[in-house]
Amino acid sequence: MSQFLGPLDSSGRVPPLQQTRVASFLISIHGALARQLAVALPGQFTAGWQTELNAQLHREMEVVSLLMRATSWAPDPAAPYHALTWETAWLSQPVSGIADQRLATTVDIAALGHAAHGVIRPAAILPVEASSDDPFVTALRRIEFESSRLIQAQIHFLKSDHLKPFRDSVSAAVGDRHRQVRKLWEDVLAGIGITPRANGS
Amino acid sequence: MPFLSHGSHRVRYELDGPTDAPAYVLVNGLTQYSELWAAYRDALIGKGLRVATFDLLGQGASDKPELFISQDDQVEALRLLIGELGDGPIFLSGISFGALIALRYAILHGDRLSGLVPMSAFAELSPQLQLLGNALRTGLILGGTSYLQDLLLPMNLSDTWLKPLLGNLDAVKRQGWLVNDVYALQNLMESFLDFQPLTSQLSSIKTPTMILNGEFDFLTPRALHETLRVHIPDSALVIIPNAYHAFTLEKAALTADLLARFAEDVLAGRWRGNQAVWIAPEDAGGDMMPFPDGFDHLRAIPVPRAAS
Repeated sequence: MSQFLGPLDSSGRVPPLQQTRVASFLISIHGALARQLAVALPGQFTAGWQTELNAQLHREMEVVSLLMRATSWAPDPAAPYHALTWETAWLSQPVSGIADQRLATTVDIAALGHAAHGVIRPAAILPVEASSDDPFVTALRRIEFESSRLIQAQIHFLKSDHLKPFRDSVSAAVGDRHRQVRKLWEDVLAGIGITPRANGS
Repeated sequence: MPFLSHGSHRVRYELDGPTDAPAYVLVNGLTQYSELWAAYRDALIGKGLRVATFDLLGQGASDKPELFISQDDQVEALRLLIGELGDGPIFLSGISFGALIALRYAILHGDRLSGLVPMSAFAELSPQLQLLGNALRTGLILGGTSYLQDLLLPMNLSDTWLKPLLGNLDAVKRQGWLVNDVYALQNLMESFLDFQPLTSQLSSIKTPTMILNGEFDFLTPRALHETLRVHIPDSALVIIPNAYHAFTLEKAALTADLLARFAEDVLAGRWRGNQAVWIAPEDAGGDMMPFPDGFDHLRAIPVPRAAS
């Protein structure tokens, strides 16, 4: 087991099955976020929020389309099982302590987004020698880089004064999503021979 | 890898050295992780001391609370760690953010400490420090951990240290980039949003205190350390020559030697802070020099001290 993708081929490219497994997971979660944002967007009439949600929606779609193009796909017999597991996980979850269902759903979407952009560090599994000529490598670096900006919308919303009365509920919801996403991400990595980096969480 | 439990959070720590020896507890700066104290472990254990290091909440292998990390929680984690060390003498030292946490601990639990060493420290946010902090946070948000490191490296380390590494900076940055998550660093930075100055509480620190300040510290300049010297009764300010904010990385041998000598002096009953100002030697083992009498240690040019 290693902490990084590989062994790389002679030109520094990541093995296709590893690319397939990582890309499938990322497409699943970012695709789910895009779908949830697409559903949530028409209901948001506050101008500022609408602008941010629109940007988020298109950036999530960009992640999906980028990986579709940049990945060297390989047949993966486990794909149907994984897809079912992941897609089920991204379904909306109840947030206890928030009676307003619309607000609770928005908190859950934001919690999933915070986990997707915060927990998953796709560039951190690239070995130093990974080639920048490999489109998959540059895609992972770009996704991680963009994640630190995308997460700002979730941070802004989840830490807002608007949610102060529900702080414990919000923190619990975000914690649950973090644990869920971390577990699934670590399972993906373990399946392709990668041990997660040391983390107390 | 042992962990302490603080509520639902786990704090990774490491204890090295003889269990019955006086202990040094070392507190990380904001973007650091406990492995960066490796040279200190070796040096201090070599002087017969025990060494405790840990990752603050939000750092390294400790838990990274998702939305909020309060500085009170960091102090509590530190208290739990010190509780693991038994009843022997405890010397507490921290760098930058870690110095602030150490100061907070000393204000609340100073009677547990035999000595305190704040390094590159501050007790209040001057306008410059506040604006620099805001800018660093914006840099983190816009450019990620790597960009934050790009800003901090030239700000906090000397040309002498940087020059031979210029072609290899990515390798220097990599471990810090790997172990730090953007949202967690941001939470650490945002723990200052409700920050209240500690200045009025500093006089309650009766512990012998050696304040270490790099000669060229740009991030937390001398005036911020002066606040500590003036308000902590049994303190002395020691200026580290040719050093910047991150002198614990750049001058580990010298700093570890100063820490060991301070502990030795305190334990032998020789320490007299007297709110004096000293200049550290260039290298470990050299002599300390009193700051020239009559000159203002807050200036960068030799200006006579104003009559008080």
